[in-house]
Amino acid sequence: MTLGSRLHALVEGVAIALDAIRANKVRAGLTILGIAVGVFVVTAMSAAVHGITAGVEHSIAAAGPTTFFVTKWPIAINNCNGSDQSCPWRRFPPLTLEESRAIAQQPGIKTVVAHLNTSVPVKYQDQELGGVGVDAYTAGWPETDGSDIIMGRSFTEGEDAGGSQVVLVNEALQQRFFREGDAIGREIFLDGNRFRVIGVYRPVGNLFNSANKPGMIVPLQTAHRKLNAGWRWMDLTVRPRDAVPQAEAIDETISALRGHRLLRPAEDNTFFVSTQEKVMELYDKIVGMFFIVMIALSAIGLMVGGVGVVAIMMISVTERTREIGVRKALGASQGIILWQFLVEAVTLTLIGATIGLAIGAGLSALIRQHTPIEASIPPFAIIAALATSCITGVLFGLFPAARAARLDPVEALRYE
Amino acid sequence: MSDGIIRIRDLARRYVMGQETVQALRGVSLEIRRNEYVAIMGPSGSGKSTMMNVLGCLDTPTSGEYWLNGHEVSRLSDDALARVRNKEIGFVFQTFNLLPRASALSNVELPLVYAGMRTRERRERAAAALERVGLANRMDHRPNELSGGQRQRVAIARALVNQPSILLADEPTGNLDSVTSEEIMRTFAELHGQGQTVVMVTHEPDIAAHAARVVVLRDGRVESDRSTERAAA
Repeated sequence: MTLGSRLHALVEGVAIALDAIRANKVRAGLTILGIAVGVFVVTAMSAAVHGITAGVEHSIAAAGPTTFFVTKWPIAINNCNGSDQSCPWRRFPPLTLEESRAIAQQPGIKTVVAHLNTSVPVKYQDQELGGVGVDAYTAGWPETDGSDIIMGRSFTEGEDAGGSQVVLVNEALQQRFFREGDAIGREIFLDGNRFRVIGVYRPVGNLFNSANKPGMIVPLQTAHRKLNAGWRWMDLTVRPRDAVPQAEAIDETISALRGHRLLRPAEDNTFFVSTQEKVMELYDKIVGMFFIVMIALSAIGLMVGGVGVVAIMMISVTERTREIGVRKALGASQGIILWQFLVEAVTLTLIGATIGLAIGAGLSALIRQHTPIEASIPPFAIIAALATSCITGVLFGLFPAARAARLDPVEALRYE
Repeated sequence: MSDGIIRIRDLARRYVMGQETVQALRGVSLEIRRNEYVAIMGPSGSGKSTMMNVLGCLDTPTSGEYWLNGHEVSRLSDDALARVRNKEIGFVFQTFNLLPRASALSNVELPLVYAGMRTRERRERAAAALERVGLANRMDHRPNELSGGQRQRVAIARALVNQPSILLADEPTGNLDSVTSEEIMRTFAELHGQGQTVVMVTHEPDIAAHAARVVVLRDGRVESDRSTERAAA
């Protein structure tokens, strides 16, 4: 089989496939739909994940690459079943502000930010929202958090220490409450306590914390005194000085904490130190699971499409039995017949893939417009979608195409 | 060696259909020389369709030898047979068997496509073949825009375009009225006059009468093999 005859069969195959689609609209439509759904799921979800990952990477970059976390519990997927053996951290003492200060005094440490979270009902004039997430930080938080303050200011150390009732709201909450006019200086009620809005921030969206949900940031002491945020679940974010290696800063932190907790050398740490790499590992694991679900979903779509391909191609082969006989009589080899029908099958699946990609692109544009997630279809997803649909076309087209190629020319010519 | 373009010796073809074995050909020997015009006749069940399929390399014999243009072709693989059909045989069918979606020119081009010829040369050759059968002005027509006689002439052009050793026609006038049939027979006669070897399978004596030699099959054997008056003339 020469390249020329292959090319000719390619052009013919595409034309015949388009004819077949016109002739069998419902079947072809279902086939194309199945493939389109499969491709759409992959592209839309990978666009979203791509955007979220970009956000997470941005937040890591904002926090400084050497920043790490001190927590009472491990940051990992663990199999804690409630017993003390499987999760010893349940008996660990909670982190304290004193410990936070002890770490901050180490020579290699630039900032330590203590953090708590809670959720409260929030009220502005006659509008009320229940269960709005509140992050409570010490004053240094803008140095370790990827969020941008886009209006107003953050709170000072003095405001934190004094438990000032000041609050920063995120863009989503600002949109809800203060659509017209300035948010700064307004008074809102958190769990019945009067707070003054001093800033608006744009949060970094990530998998765990949707950026388009209303949220607020308040000083840590204020959250403890007025919003019933307990110390038990406090975590610390530690940023080393710029020239200090991360390992050195971690060593300082561990010895400061061990010293403070009077742990003997034989005793294990009663806290966890996690680097951003570790957090990224966890994130990657979760994204990995996400991808598995996504691949399963798209596989179903592709299977539906694939079965459609088999059906429509079997019909095509049967309807054109005589034509296949004529082609063979004129000298078409088995290879060229096989190729022609595979081209036809792949044309169907590629049309589906193109539609799926278009819908996926549309959805990712919507996500980009309406959420802070910078959703964009990564080039590998486009290539993967097209390749997968080609492979689906070839795999499912192979059986009908092979049947066509192996037809006995005498029988085929006799076929009515 | 003689100039026999087709040389067949003791050719047999058996079909197994369930429990039954059908003996379609039971030892046929036949030689057809270059530039002969032969009609193969016989009642239904005589084996003439099987003969046609074997001669056209669409089917292979169970036993015996078949030499086509100096090559033994009775034991070839499917793809090798496809190449032989492409190069050596030009088929003309009772029902024309043109591709409905393709223009006359594209239909005639198809054997050249399978031969691997480049586009430009292909177009020229196909156009020349259509001119040869008097359809120069119908090249862009689709089969459904052509009359029966015109369709059969497109099929003849398609059969001739690769300059085959034999033109093999299976009931070429079976779907045509008598006036058109005469036209097609004239075309065959002209081609024969230009040196083309023509083998025609038919059950109509007046069509067979156009040939120079008539081979009659019965029960899978050659019953008679004689020259017609036309050959003498």
